[in-house]
Formats: sequence, C-alpha cells, structure tokens
Amino acid sequence: MTGTIIDHRLIDGRKVRKRILDDVRAGFQAEGAQDRVGRLVSISIGDTPAVAVYVRNQARGAAEAGLRFDAQIWPDAITQEDCKARILAMNDDPDVLGIILQRPVPPQIHVRSLQSAIHPLKDVEGMSPASIGNIVYSDIALAPCTAAASVELLKETGLKLEGLEVVMIGHSEIVGKPIAFLLMAEGATVTVCHHMTRSVAMHSRRADAVVVAVGKPNFLRPDMIRPGAAVIDIGINQITDETGLVRIVGDANTDAVKEVAGWITPVPGGVGPVTVAILMRNALAAFQRQKQSGWLV
Amino acid sequence: MGAVIIDGKVFAAKVRGQVAAHVARLVEEHGITPGLAVVLVGADPASEVYVKSKGKMTVEVGMTSIEHRLPADTAEVDLLALIAKLNADPKIHGILVQLPLPAHLNSELVINSIDPAKDVDGFHISNVGLLGTGQKSMVPCTPLGCLMMLRDHHGSLSGLNAVVVGRSNIVGKPMAQLLLGDSCTVTIAHSRTKDLPAVCRGADILVAAVGRPEMITGDYVKPGATVIDVGINRIERGGKTVLVGDAEFASCAAVAGAITPVPGGVGPMTIACLLANTLTACCRANDLPEPDGLTA
Repeated sequence: MTGTIIDHRLIDGRKVRKRILDDVRAGFQAEGAQDRVGRLVSISIGDTPAVAVYVRNQARGAAEAGLRFDAQIWPDAITQEDCKARILAMNDDPDVLGIILQRPVPPQIHVRSLQSAIHPLKDVEGMSPASIGNIVYSDIALAPCTAAASVELLKETGLKLEGLEVVMIGHSEIVGKPIAFLLMAEGATVTVCHHMTRSVAMHSRRADAVVVAVGKPNFLRPDMIRPGAAVIDIGINQITDETGLVRIVGDANTDAVKEVAGWITPVPGGVGPVTVAILMRNALAAFQRQKQSGWLV
Repeated sequence: MGAVIIDGKVFAAKVRGQVAAHVARLVEEHGITPGLAVVLVGADPASEVYVKSKGKMTVEVGMTSIEHRLPADTAEVDLLALIAKLNADPKIHGILVQLPLPAHLNSELVINSIDPAKDVDGFHISNVGLLGTGQKSMVPCTPLGCLMMLRDHHGSLSGLNAVVVGRSNIVGKPMAQLLLGDSCTVTIAHSRTKDLPAVCRGADILVAAVGRPEMITGDYVKPGATVIDVGINRIERGGKTVLVGDAEFASCAAVAGAITPVPGGVGPMTIACLLANTLTACCRANDLPEPDGLTA
C-alpha cells in the first residue's frame, strides 16, 4: 500500500470549508448578475498580531467566495463614540455588505454596545442581540460562525439531528449557548453542561453527540463518551508537548477519543476552517435579506 | 410521602408586596410613579378578563395603569403610531400588547416596535437575544415567576440537573436560559426526545411546559425532585370542565419533593412578575438601583 491512509473517523473540516465556499461563490454569482455586491468590512481596533491572523484567514475566505474584503485598522486610542459613528455610517453605505468587528478591543471600547450598533442585516458574524434572538426563535440563517460551523460538521456525519441526544459542554455566549439553540431548532434534545455541572461524564456518556468548548486541553477523554458517538471539538489550545514543541490541540484527547468515538473533528483542520466559510455563507444570507428588504433597489 | 405544595397565590402576593413597598419608596424619595400601559385590540373575552385583572393589580401596587382599548379592525399603522407614542412617553415604563392580536395584524412587527427597555413581556427580539447571551434584559413573566419560586424553595440552584419539557418561545426556551444563568445543568426535552421518561427522571428540577394535559406522570419524576407545572389545560371530567396542568398532580406529588399545583401554582406569578418587570424597567429608565430579587 502506498500513499496516505485516510482515517474516516476524522471529519475533514477543510473539505467542508471548500464545499461551502464554492456554494457561496456560485450563490453570489447567481445573485450578482443583477445587483452590485458590496464589500465586507473588517474592523480591527488597534494593531494586534493575533487579530491579524484571523483577518488574513477571513480575507482568504472572502477571496475564495469572490467577495471584496476591506481590512480596516482603527487607531488604538479611538473613542467609543467615534467607533459607533463610523459603524452607523457603514450601516447606511450601500457599498458595505457586512461588518465584522474583530476582538479583542482596547479597554475603552465596549464591544457589545458596538455589536448592537451594527445593523442586523449587516451583522454577518451573527452576534447582535437581534441575530441571537432570531436564533432562539429558530430562525437560524444568520448564526454565530463557530456555532454554525459545529452544527455543519455534526451534519457531515450523516446523523439525523431530530431526536439526537447532544451534550454541549461549555455555555459561553458566543459558542455554547448559540449551538444549543441551533441544535434545538433542528429537533435535537440538548443538555448544556458547564463548570458547575456535578458530573459531566454522567451526561456526556449518554449522548449521541458531544460538542466540547471549554478551552482546556485533554478535557474530553475516551471514558467520557459512548462508543460510536460523534465528537465536535471546538477547543483551540496552544501547548508545549514533551519534546518541547509548541502545538495547537483541541479540548479532546483526539487520539484516545478516536478509538471510542464514531467521528471526531481534528484540531487543527476541523471546526476552524469551516468557521470562515460560514462567515461567507452569512454574507450571502445577509445579501439576500437586504435584497428582500428592498435595500438594493 | 407527599410533596411540599408550592403555593403560588401566597408567593405571588409576597412578590406584589415587595413591588408595592419599592414603588412607595420610589414615589416618596424620587417622586417617580412607575407606569404600565396595556394595549388591547378587539374584545377577546379571555383577554378582557386578563387585562382587567392586570389593571387592578397594577393600581394596587401603587403604579399608574393605562389601558388602550382599540377596535378589532384597527389598522396596523394606527397601532404602531400608538406604540410610538407610548415609547416616547416618559411616564410610561412598561408597554404590554395583549396577545393574540386579530389576524390582520403582524404580531411580530408590533411586538418588535416596542422600545426593548419598555417591553415588560420580554418578547422583543432584542430582549430574547440579550437573555440568550446572558445580558441584562427584560425577562418573560412566566419563566421569571418559575425561577423566583425555585430560588425561594431551593436557595441556590447551582449544579442541579434541570429538565425543561417543551421548547416554546415564551416559556421553554427562556426558562432554560434562566436556569443556565443560575448554573443548573439544563436539558431541553420536547416531543422529538427519544426516551422522555428517562430524561425526566434525571432531573432535580422538572419544568413541564408542553401544553398537554397530565402528560407528565409520576414515573417521569425522580424521587424528591421539584416539579414546576406551567400547563393550564381545560378538560372535561365527570361532566364538568376542570383546569389541570401538564403534570398529573396526584401521581407526581406522591414521588416529588415539591410541586406547584394547577390552578394556584405558576399562574398567579405571571401578573406579579409583570409588575416586577415594570418596576425594574422604571428603575433602569431613571438610573436607579434595581430592586433585589425581582428579576433574573
């Protein structure tokens, strides 16, 4: 035997990413024939290297989806009022399709208040209260990207979400809670566990699928899941391994869990790549909603 | 055996007493009287009864109650104009549009035209999102009432397993969020859940909000668990119309540690929480500290 053996227990995020981006590109081409598509604006406040990595990834995704991407860096000392005024101007600018607010922001900036200032039809990150409210009410077209990416990968297993027992470990506002609502909208029975849960394993061992987002390497071990379950690993943790090498690992002990699980998303190469693709899919959804609302006439 | 019966009438009266005491202080120390506007379109008999009862209790706790009764054929623009006027009125801190609205009116549009800060029902899409992300919001009255009763009975809810049966927008979903906010491990179960009795038996707190009479029976309940019954169902029994909950009271009470009866459990809490929300909205509008224990 020659060549690489593909491990079918690993859900390939890069493949899903490409499929979504191809669909989005085709979608915009179909739409854009009649209408001029605006640009995506990324706002970084201050110059942070960690943010720059994300922005570069998003720019690459936008290029693959055929979208213009405007990476703006606003001054570190900018005031909240100034930021808000700029965002409101973008809300009114027909050449702006969607607005991405990069985090972290400097301490004088209140990020939630700025997110609320982004018009819900331009909120491609799905983070404004109105966007989250729609998700709670089962209108899930514009969801936070990481959350939607996780659900997309769970669907990739072929498991039917209706009636599926899913345990979500971690209840953060941008990942855990939105995932719970997305899955609920799809008919899953969702249990949300967190740091106050008495026995996470008691819940996770019952689940058909486990989604983990706690930010702790090696948190999810093979004894915590049921044989054949699907595991979606959202963690991105930087560790130094025994050989002194710096590596990125998830919240699951992937190699060990893989021996019990039916499917697992690798880190890197699982949820991460899909997240950017979902951002572009959100841009298409936003475009279609703007059009329905008569913005582009 | 035999569960503690959580008396919603007594507890609701206590909450209204707390609201009244706080309102009295607001009037005396700041010269502010909280105001609640209720808008009723058409003459649905159940809504009429409810609106009347709300108005009476609003006045009893010392707040201003304003009722707008509009004909059933009111045009949407006119209703929206009234809401805009109430949004702009500094004497009005809470606005409630009684649902259901006549069919020609778009409820979603109407509710979302209320200023979220005055949306004392907690149904505005922004309030839903704020609650969904654990931020300060107006919380829907019925689940807020359930939360207050649970806190009163248990003290801390942290670490308890809670199962909410039913995923409705007005009860099940906000209830789950409130329980998460109080650090419960929360499962939301529903009609598609595979083994509902087994899931329910894992619960220290079981909230029944499915709208199906007496669906939850004793074999769904873990011994000693607390059962909160949100259902109000009218059924025929022995030639009479009776009110029953979503839980079968006798068999659940034999197993549970505590249970809310129907009627007289969750029901009376809803209006009490509406008043509490109006008070909270008034305090926020005036940059005054919020009352303790009356919101999530």
